[in-house]
Amino acid sequence: MITVFLAKSIITMNASMPRAEAVAVRDGKILETGTLESLQPWLSKYDHKIDEQFKNSFIIPGLIDPHLHPSMAAVLLPTYFITAMEWKMPWGTTPATRSAAEYDERLKEALSTPTHGELFITWGHHALWHGPISRSRINSIDSKKPIIVWNRSFHELCMNDAALDLLDIKESDVKNATQIDFERGRFYEIGLGYAIQKLNPYILAPEVFKDGLLKLKEVVHFGGQTTIADMAVGLFDLETELKTQNDLYEVDDNPFRVELVAHSTVMQQGNSVEDAEKLISELPSRNSHRLNFRKRVKLFTDGAFFAQVAQLLEPGYIDGHQGEWLSTPEQFEENTRVFWNKGYAIHVHCTGDLGLELAVDTLEKMQEEKPRFNHGFTIEHFGFSTPEQVFRLSKLGANISANVYYVHELSEIYSNDSVGFERASSMARIGSSFREGITTTLHSDFTMAPAQPLMSMWVAVNRINEKGNLMCQEECITPQQGLEAITINAARVLGLDHEIGSIRAGKKADFTILEEDPLNIDPIKIKDIDIKATVFEGKVFSLKSQ
Amino acid sequence: MIPVTVIAGYLGSGKTTLINKFLVEASSPIAVLVNDFGELDIDSKLIDNEESLTLSLTNGCVCCKLSDDIGASLESLKNRDISAVVIEASGVSLPIKIANYGLSWPGFTLNAIITVVDGQSIARLLKDKFVMHTVKNQIQQADAVLLNRSNNLPLEELHKFTTNVIDENEISDFSDLILKEYSPIQLVKEGTTDHASFRTSVFTSNKPVNKEKIKEYFLSNPNIQRAKGWIKEEDGSCFLLQMTPSECNFSFSNSNNETRIVIIYIGEGLPALKL
Ligand SMILES: [Zn+2]
Ligand SMILES: [Zn+2]
Repeated sequence: MITVFLAKSIITMNASMPRAEAVAVRDGKILETGTLESLQPWLSKYDHKIDEQFKNSFIIPGLIDPHLHPSMAAVLLPTYFITAMEWKMPWGTTPATRSAAEYDERLKEALSTPTHGELFITWGHHALWHGPISRSRINSIDSKKPIIVWNRSFHELCMNDAALDLLDIKESDVKNATQIDFERGRFYEIGLGYAIQKLNPYILAPEVFKDGLLKLKEVVHFGGQTTIADMAVGLFDLETELKTQNDLYEVDDNPFRVELVAHSTVMQQGNSVEDAEKLISELPSRNSHRLNFRKRVKLFTDGAFFAQVAQLLEPGYIDGHQGEWLSTPEQFEENTRVFWNKGYAIHVHCTGDLGLELAVDTLEKMQEEKPRFNHGFTIEHFGFSTPEQVFRLSKLGANISANVYYVHELSEIYSNDSVGFERASSMARIGSSFREGITTTLHSDFTMAPAQPLMSMWVAVNRINEKGNLMCQEECITPQQGLEAITINAARVLGLDHEIGSIRAGKKADFTILEEDPLNIDPIKIKDIDIKATVFEGKVFSLKSQ
Repeated sequence: MIPVTVIAGYLGSGKTTLINKFLVEASSPIAVLVNDFGELDIDSKLIDNEESLTLSLTNGCVCCKLSDDIGASLESLKNRDISAVVIEASGVSLPIKIANYGLSWPGFTLNAIITVVDGQSIARLLKDKFVMHTVKNQIQQADAVLLNRSNNLPLEELHKFTTNVIDENEISDFSDLILKEYSPIQLVKEGTTDHASFRTSVFTSNKPVNKEKIKEYFLSNPNIQRAKGWIKEEDGSCFLLQMTPSECNFSFSNSNNETRIVIIYIGEGLPALKL
């Protein structure tokens, strides 16, 4: 049976036929796009039904988030969000909370609803916005209910008396620990590791992990996504991650597929890179319909962008502190060589311009040793960069997968406190990467940014930061480029452009249904476009009915 | 509390060799945690003999790695009969970060950070565009710096590379290292535990000092086991000081360091060094 979906307009992202009004689908695949008339050769021959439920809406290719972390999300999503930025969630919008007084108010409010478990965990506190947090401050809100306040950066948490009691953390045990401030209930860095150890039964318990992954399922659907990539399988524990994702996502009512990319460091642990490659090469034998490993691997150069440990070229950070490497340049090169020579698409986490320099130098060396084309070497995150690096990336055939949300959340504070305006305003330099013809996509790295491709597109097109300031107009992209980034380019970066990412005959019938035309709307409204439904392999998954 | 010793140093500097030495000489079981990605080079035969154990870990920032492997290992070691923990930091680790496990994980205490430097490659690394800062930090954050494979290079030559970075640390030639002083059990930083047999104190001064006065001080305090550092005299000349219970040497140095002496001693405390 053929289903024909009609729409006000179908934005195909297929340059040869950019717009259509009808798309015919059979067995989860697209037969043809065009008009009801042009589809007649199919329709006159085969049984079909006309589906008009989207006739006042816009159909775009199913949105793709090519880099997020389901396991991180699973830990975070069961917590209660109180954040400086607005977070839209399927179960309600978390409003922007911008002062200490407001923060305490929100926390009080949250605690007044008695639906929480034994331990209440809230995420999103940021001292810059919400003032310093301490045991006594939380106690003054509620000292009986065990409460944990987890910092937005994940690098610190704070507990009240009841939480310390519940987790059995005593002053005598921790009084010498320099990264635990018992008096103020604060645990940071290594101290945080200790606290998490104690929290494990609450945050990594199998039921909680499952609950988190189920919540992520809603989040992914809510963001209009039909494909996501888990860009570091093994982050927590490969077997548990695979099993839980299989149980929860390899089911008929799951509206998306998950592309799996192995975390090479985890796979290597204690072995040679060649051993790691062997293990990774065997992973596709465990593929199923929705969950697939392919010839891809995740490598790392420098430290986290949010924690300000990206490695920077001169002149570095204003305060003179140094970034971090996640592996030595020698090890990075050795690992890259093994995977490059075996034909892998290599995804490299790079945040700073010095981290990027290492990736570019290494890629250049690989191209000299063993030239490859359309090789899928992808820069992940793309925080700081120089125009010259963008030029080299283009010549070397690399792709870029940018976390453009950095511009929105961090460009203002990084202008003032970290690297200054010139470099902060041009973070995620994607206008340049489009100009250089680099295949560029956008990701959320959820939970680093909301898992909403339209939000990423909005930031990329407008570059408006949280203070409302325009950051580097020259690096803005057009709405057309923005939509390419979250559809066809994302598919290319994942090596799936022959199957998804545009609406044309032969591809999978993955669609996202919008209430407005993202290419003709005022660009400042892109993030607010209502998503009516998604279609995954021909099956409709409505969002409005929820 | 179990003492934690961090062995830092860039890739290929000789950390594993040092750890193997520790394993050979350990009189009671020690645990070795290797925080690196590559192949495990620790000689397992050495471990079988002792009741020691080695664990390979990958640690990372919580953004890239959800679990804290080092923390989890330390937690599990609490229930074992272990007299010391040695953590081999990865080639790019900042030693301070790893040392924080000794300072912050309940039940453990920081013994020392030892950074191993390869004499053959240090000059190149300190100019490397990617890792110069990392290597510099590894040296600066150490309690003791061990120079490895310096045989072919005169010590003076090495100081030329390192004087501008090693201003706060003791330098020892790897080959004449007296392991006892750096054993993971005995070298304990001042104030970290009560049952310390060795303590460290650091004397610094930006005023000129007198060699003879310092010698006198050492002689009158027999609990001083070892001292090393630089002194600067009235006329601006700089000396490298090396003191063991049997001798006290001052060798002229071309460097221009301010006075800084690291003193290792036994017992409760030292009278202040007044000049
Ligand atoms: Zn990353
Ligand atoms: Zn990531």
